[in-house]
Formats: sequence, C-alpha cells, structure tokens
Amino acid sequence: MNFWLLVVVKVLVVAGAVMLPGALLVIFGELKISAHMQSRIGPYFAGGRFGWAQPLADGLKFMQKEDLVPAAADARVYRLAPYIVLISTVAIYVIIPFGPDLTARDLDLGVFFLLAVSSLSTLGVLMAGWSSGNKYSLMGGLRAAAQLIAYELPMVLAVVAVAVQAGTLSLGGIVQAQAHTELFGANIHLPYLITGQLLGFLIFTTASLAELARIPFDMPIAESELTMGYLTEYSGLRFTMFFLGEYAGMVAFTAIAATLYLGGWWLPGLSPEAGYMNVVGPIVLVTKVLLLSFLFIWFRWTWPRLREDQLQTLAWKWLIPLSLANIVGTALFKVIM
Amino acid sequence: MTESPSEAPAAAAAVAERFAGIVGSDDWSADFATPKVRVPRDGWIAAHAAAKEHAPFFSWLSAVDWSSEVAVGDPPEGEVESRFEVLSCLGDLDGNFVLLSTDLPKDDAVLPTLVDTFGGANWHEREAAEMFGIVFDGHPQLTHLYLTDEFEGYPLRKTFPLLTREVKPWPGTVDVEGMPGATGPSTENVEAAAMEGGEE
Amino acid sequence: MTTRLDPTVAMHLSDAAVSVELETPEMTLNIGPQHPSTHGVLRLVAKVDGERVDSVEPVIGYMHRGYEKLAEVRTYAQITALINRIDWVSGFCNEVPFVIAVERLMGIEAPERAQYIRLILAEMTRISSHLLFMSSYPLELGAPTPLMYALREREHVMDLIEGVTGGRFHPNFNRVGGVKPAAGGGSSTKKVVQDLPSGFFDGTRRAMDRVDLVCDELDTLVTGNELFRARTVGVGIIPPDKALAYGVSGPNLRASGVGFDLRKHEHILPYDDIEFEIPVGRNGDCFDRFVVRLQEIRQATRIVRQAVDRIPAGPLQAKVPRILKVPQGQCYVRAENPKGEMGYFVVSEGGRIPYRVKIRSASFSNLSILPWILAGQLIPDLVAIMGSLDFVLGDVDR
Repeated sequence: MNFWLLVVVKVLVVAGAVMLPGALLVIFGELKISAHMQSRIGPYFAGGRFGWAQPLADGLKFMQKEDLVPAAADARVYRLAPYIVLISTVAIYVIIPFGPDLTARDLDLGVFFLLAVSSLSTLGVLMAGWSSGNKYSLMGGLRAAAQLIAYELPMVLAVVAVAVQAGTLSLGGIVQAQAHTELFGANIHLPYLITGQLLGFLIFTTASLAELARIPFDMPIAESELTMGYLTEYSGLRFTMFFLGEYAGMVAFTAIAATLYLGGWWLPGLSPEAGYMNVVGPIVLVTKVLLLSFLFIWFRWTWPRLREDQLQTLAWKWLIPLSLANIVGTALFKVIM
Repeated sequence: MTESPSEAPAAAAAVAERFAGIVGSDDWSADFATPKVRVPRDGWIAAHAAAKEHAPFFSWLSAVDWSSEVAVGDPPEGEVESRFEVLSCLGDLDGNFVLLSTDLPKDDAVLPTLVDTFGGANWHEREAAEMFGIVFDGHPQLTHLYLTDEFEGYPLRKTFPLLTREVKPWPGTVDVEGMPGATGPSTENVEAAAMEGGEE
Repeated sequence: MTTRLDPTVAMHLSDAAVSVELETPEMTLNIGPQHPSTHGVLRLVAKVDGERVDSVEPVIGYMHRGYEKLAEVRTYAQITALINRIDWVSGFCNEVPFVIAVERLMGIEAPERAQYIRLILAEMTRISSHLLFMSSYPLELGAPTPLMYALREREHVMDLIEGVTGGRFHPNFNRVGGVKPAAGGGSSTKKVVQDLPSGFFDGTRRAMDRVDLVCDELDTLVTGNELFRARTVGVGIIPPDKALAYGVSGPNLRASGVGFDLRKHEHILPYDDIEFEIPVGRNGDCFDRFVVRLQEIRQATRIVRQAVDRIPAGPLQAKVPRILKVPQGQCYVRAENPKGEMGYFVVSEGGRIPYRVKIRSASFSNLSILPWILAGQLIPDLVAIMGSLDFVLGDVDR
C-alpha cells in the first residue's frame, strides 16, 4: 500500500478507533465507579438507563461553548498549549502492541520514543499555566512543571530495568520476551510483574499517576486551592482537549504498564505464535487496561492529595533511589541467572 | 437541672466581688447573673493586666452608646448620662466570666489599646472603632474591618439612622458593569428599571 | 461579545505583567472572596513567595448584615427570627443564648420539657454542623468521598429537625419562655397545642445509630488514612495560651489541650443530668481539630439518646404576656455553639425593643488568629488550616 495512505489509515485507526473510544469508556467508568463509591448513582439519564451517552453529551456541550481567550493571556501560546498536550498523548499509541502484528509502528526504540514523547506534555502544561495571564494558573503551571519533571526520572529508571531484563527497547519485543523467557529452565512463562519487577511496577504506577496529575498527585490542578490550576482559564473545546488528553493518557499509560509488566496482549498459557492471538490479544490488553484504570479511579476517590513538598520528597528521596536499586538488582539477576 | 434564677445571681455576685478585688475597684454589680466591674479610664490597661492571670480567655470587646436622644429605636427609660461605655468580657477556665467596663465622654472617645495584653483585642477594637468612632491609642492598624473604606459615619451610634435604599444609595453600585448598549453603570434598582422599561 | 486584542499587543501586555512579577520574589495573591475553600466570602490578601506565604491580611465584611444595628429596631420576637441566620449551619443553636438572656431579664424560667427539647435540638444541630465539617474538610484536602458519606447521614438529622421546627437551617423555634408551643399563629391554630411530631423519638434513636455508623466509617476512611495524616499532623499548631488570648473557642480550643466546654459550666440547658465526655486534643494541629469534632459527634449522639429517654412531659412555653416588655437591665448569656462560644449581651431599657444587643460570635474570634498562624505556611497548608478552624462567614460578619 502507498506509504502515506498507510500512515493516514494508521493515524485514523489510532485516534479514532483506539484512543477516542478508550478515553470515552474510561470517562464513563470514572463517572459510574466514583458514583457508586460515593453511594450515588451517577449518570442515569443521557442515553437511557445507564447514562452511557453522558461523556458524549458532555463533549457536545463543551463544543458548543464560547471560544474564550482572556484579554491578558498570551493568545498564541494559549491556543497552542492544548494541542501539544493532546498530541504528545496520542503519539504514545503508535507503539502500543495490541497483538503480535497489531502495532501502528513497532519501533526498535519503542521505550525511548515513549518516554521522550510523553514528556512533551510537560511543556504543554507549562505553556498553559503561563499564558493564561492568571496567577492561579501560573502557580498551577509551575507546580506541574516541578512535579512532572520530578516524576519523569523514576518512570524512566523503572522502564530501564524492564529493558535490561528483556534485552530490547521495542515494546513488541518486551512482550515476546515475557512470553518466551523460561522460568528456572522449565517451560513456564510469567509476566515481569511476578518475575522480579514488582518494585518496578509499583514505581511505574506511582510515577504515571503523577504524570497524569491525578489524585493523590493533583497539585497542579488542586481544585480546592487553585480553582483548577493551569486549566482555570480554559473552557469549551480547548478544555475538552485537555480533558480528553488526561483520559487518553490514562489509557495509554495503563496500556504501557500492562505491556511492560503484565504481559501486554499475552496471557500465561496462551501461545504467542498462534493465529488467534491477533483477535484475542487486543481483548486481553483491553481487559488489563480496564483493570488498571479501575485501580487508578479507586485511588482518586479514596485518598486526599499530597502537598507539593511531600510529593517532591516522595519522588527524589524514595522513588529514585528505589528505582536505581531496582536496576542494579535486575542487572545482577540477569548476569547471575 | 438548670440553675434556678435564684441561685445564679449569688454565684455571679461572688465572681464579681472577686474580680473587683483583683482589678482594685469597688464598683461592681451582678444583676441577672452577669458579673460586671467598672474601672476608671486610666486604669483600663492595668485592670486587664491584673485580670489576665485569673481570666486568660479574651471573649469580646465592644461599646454601648448611651444617649437620651436616639435616631433609631426607643430612647432609654429615664435620663442617662451621654457617654460611650466600653465593655470587655474575659473568661476563666472554671466557667466564670466577668465584664469590665469603663466610661468615655463622647467628645473625647480615646482609650488605650489592649492589643499588647490580649492579642485578640485587635479585631474587636477595630470593629468598635469603626462602629462607634472610638479611637484606640496605640492600635497597629485601625482601618475599617466590616465597612468599606469610603463609608461615612459610625453606624452603631444612636445618632446614625437606618436609612432605606432610596435615601442613601448603596455604595456597591459602581462595581456593576452596564449591560451592552447601556451608557453607564446600571442603577441600583435593576428590577425597577427593568420594570419601568418593560411597562413603557 | 469577546474583545480580542491584537496578538502582538496582548503578547507585550502579558509580557510586561509577568516580567514585572518575575523580577520581584514576592507576589500578591488574592485568595477569594470567590474561592472554593474560603467557606464563604472571605478575602485573603496573601503575599506569597513561590509556595510560601509571607503574610496574610484577611478582608472581611462582605456579608456584614448589621445585626446589632438591626436589633435596635426590632422587637424581641422579631430578633429571634433573625438571629438563626448568623451561623446558618447551626441555626437552632444561635437562638438559644438570646432567648435565655431575655428570659433572665424578665425573670422567667422555661418549663423542663422545653429545656429538654432545646437540648435535643441543640445537640442535633451540633451533629449536623460537625458532619458538614466532616464532609467539606477532606474535600478541601482532595478526598471527595467522605463528603457523600457524611452528608447522607446528615440528611436524617436534618429531616428530624425539619419535622419538629419546620425549617432545616432557620428553625425559628425558640420563643421567650420556651419553645414554639402552638401549631402556629393565627386565631384558628393558636388554641391547638402541638407537641413534638409522633415518631420523633424512634426516628431520633434510629438516626443516632446511623450517625454512629458513619462516624466509624469516617474513622476508617479519613482518620486512619496515611495521606490525610501527612497533610494534617503537625500543621497549623495553635498553642493554648495564644488560643486563649485570641478568644479561640469550641473544638479549636479543645484541640489545643484546653479541656473547656461551656456545656459543663453554663447551666442554661439541663446538661447536668446527662453523662458525656469532652474530647480534648493534644497538639493543637489540624488533625486534632478534626478528631475532636469527630469525637464530639459521638458524644452528641450519646447526649441525645439520654435526653430522649429522660424528657419529661409538660408545657412547652411558660406564661408570657402577648406583647413582650422586658424590664430594664443588662444580661450576658453564652452557650457552646458548634463553632465555639456564642454569647448575647442584651441591654434593655424597658420596652419592646432592646437598647443594645452585642453578639459575640465564635467564628469572628476563631478567624482573628489567621494572620498569626498563616504567616510562613505553604499554600496547601493555608487551605488545610483555614478549613480546620471551621468558621462560617455569616458568623464572622454578622
């Protein structure tokens, strides 16, 4: 097929068939799960009994709102910021393997690409906070910059340990490595969560919660202090882009966590070469994504938020040394065994 | 049971007498279970300093405007001497309280501040100052607490009448932006203006 | 209509604004009067250096309604209808000290049944006010779920209060000489004496059971939570001598270690017959203030249960003349409001209208400690401390 046609098809599939439904599903899940945790019902009107059309209704509502740019805002930067956040999140979907042959583009540098692209969102958030012309947004943006940079490092280091254990940076390769590495010489294959990367999984999950700026790490937004932080001045379609970016990011990061630590599209017991894995694989991955998303949603509605200095202490004094120790341990294991 | 109306005054009288001894005054009363000790104006600070050891809880400070002619409400029964009576209420940890009161002449309503003795007197004195026009000597910041900075007059004085909105416009008018197409700030009575416009 | 500035002009405008601010290390941040966490229209002009607050100046008065001036032109019955709006979260408790002050001036004592009803409703109001605190305080720290649990049980208590008084927030149920005795005003209903609604006592016992359950739930969800403790333990410590000097009262004072509760000392309601404890904190930090209020809810349910068992039969209001004329005198009565110590100093010069009413509101004094305690705190701690003081702007501004 023509290369450029293929690119267009892939982009449409990734954005339209993977990211959008995934984000909408997780948004709906958050509405309903949070409601039941709070002994409420949640949406029950839009779309019939279960309110499944609520995210769509919200999206349409936002789209028809007035396009505001505050007078004191730096208009060009203000308009650009949501795109940067959204694009950096969507770009992660390119490398997620949904099946043995179902990756938009399985780069050899998959992990490297992932980490580089996901840190672009920091720039978008900082732009949003600064350009709004609002002191609360500025503070939110600065907090976000400090937090996102601080938590990049544990994430990178946790992923390095996985790369060391798998021997490859490509995500498809990491899944294959989990499917083929024999445990103690026997024909048992287990995902990395169980074969030595438990600490890494915990570090990666914590760091991705911080990257997504979800409670307990939502200081940049901190609704009760900063009135939505860097998002204060955004409304309408621009806010939708941030909103979608947050949930798309949640799906993306949980998919990455599932791929790196839980085996991705593969389950222990299934043969990774079988033909049906191109059909079963996506289902397996989506289930894992939904389970991890449920965990993230649960955390959000149970815990209060950490203060900024407590956040930074957690990252610099605890997560980074632990992840370094994780790398050393993994490397030793790899050499010895 | 609650204290019957006959027991309460006896206990209050004991408290009033004790505090009168502490502050060194013999003008005390305990009507209606309310211990009250009068001190002279120049003994105000000393009285509080002495009472502080026995009653460390600073409850409130305010004033009463005594005058025979009033612009609002009913005048007092009988002739009263025209003055400000500044009252402060202190409490102790055994459940007693005492009111310390002093009289100020209206043309010389100055009293030294209690801020150095009781930190909590800060806001109470600001309120009394803006409501009655009493000046507290030595107060760090005697600006308006409740009222806007441009407010004229001292509301809680008996000579300050309660006016309806038509006589004195609400000072908040200037903050309201006019609707698009209007020439200036909206009038205070938006509903009336709208109704007039609708009826015509 | 949106006005769009020329992009280059806008860029330079914001450029200019930001570069001036970036040059100086101190930024003046205006928190409020419209803000999610200020409990009303409180404005804090904060000078901040990054995340650290150097100084805070509270600006109040946005809700000043002039109660004390208004009390000089209203009759005693009319004032009773107004004052439950001072601290609107604990509506019933605001009325009690005032009517008792007037009763003392007139030399009337309310009948026992009326006093017990006052006590029960006051304690239920205390439960309702503290449950509202339980719901809003974790929300300010970022935990959205205790909000729903606490408010769900509060509804039961509010239903009961509404069943008796007719109002959830503004009950207007106290009368000079007792509580509202008849089914209402007007010649047709005046002769009908309507006591408490049927099923009130059973409903109250059930509601108290539910409130106890939710206290246990909140204990598990909030008090035991590591993150909550990290945000509140050691934050905003008020030493007891400072608390006393500033007039801080109620749960805030008790959290600082001073075991002083007016219910044990002021004999205006029949607390002497009822067994209850006073929870006292140790350090005076935000965590202690939270836990003291949680324990107070439990003690309040205990009080209500005992009062409901003991309440005697009898009339609901003593004999008072139809037109109230209060003899000359001055009386100060204070009570333990959920927010702290609330008192009314009533100066009467005979007649139907008081000469002066001074209202001592708890939140005014609780708030006055803010400039001292917020200096040098971080902004998230600012929110945590303000929330833990549990003030209501109606109480502050009167």
